Amino acid sequence: MTQQSTSLAVGAALPAVTKKVTQEKINAYALAGGDGNPLHTDPAFAAGAQFGGTIAHGMLVLAYVSEMLTAAFGADWLASGRLKVRFRAPARPGDALTSSGRVTAVEGGDIVCEVDCRSQSGEVLVSGTARVSR
Amino acid sequence: MTTLAALEKGYEFPPASFDLSDEWVDAYAASVEDEAIGALDGGFVPPMAVAALAIRALLENASLPPGTLHAGQELAFTAPVRRGEMLTVASRIASRGERAGWALMGVELRVARAGEDVMTGKATITMPAAEGAAA
Repeated sequence: MTQQSTSLAVGAALPAVTKKVTQEKINAYALAGGDGNPLHTDPAFAAGAQFGGTIAHGMLVLAYVSEMLTAAFGADWLASGRLKVRFRAPARPGDALTSSGRVTAVEGGDIVCEVDCRSQSGEVLVSGTARVSR
Repeated sequence: MTTLAALEKGYEFPPASFDLSDEWVDAYAASVEDEAIGALDGGFVPPMAVAALAIRALLENASLPPGTLHAGQELAFTAPVRRGEMLTVASRIASRGERAGWALMGVELRVARAGEDVMTGKATITMPAAEGAAA
């Protein structure tokens, strides 16, 4: 399996991933993921809903976090990755999201990381832990 | 279609099968702009694509009531998945509680290839409770 160069040391930062959210990208994810909830895809409907506009699917935002972990740990992430997160705030069209993380523990063959995804204002949208075996 | 909020703890969704066709994988990868997966040799599919399929299977059998929110997600990937493979999805409502008119539901997700798990997980979802649904 492909091995990446991420340090195993506690405190090491994972390579951050930044993505711009657009309505077009949300619509594309809705089609691929089969989730056409109008809260994501219908600006007129969403304007009257709880967030006052459309929001990205949580699983779309989580895909950005997973991309960071794939970049950090390569195929090990695909074969042994574990992720536990809370969705804390919505991502909206126009947001620039940055996924980041750092190693918090090395336990035997497992690497444990704190991960999050923040908006351009620094608001935490997703946070949690990731674990991968190497 | 049944609304998710009306389903009770222990409900098992009908099994579903998905073909990881190039067309679907390309559409998924484009939607999430995954640049890391392409750096790996082997025709791997982004692991979150597998998770997306699990959620998709759920949504094909139950509608989400307005106001539904995805509150949390647990995922465990146990084997890489490649293009062209056939996956099966099984899911069940593992927990369901109600408070102040809102339901909090835990849905277990299991994706397998030829009977071997490639992903397991749990989605935590909150939504307005349906009238008459049991907690």
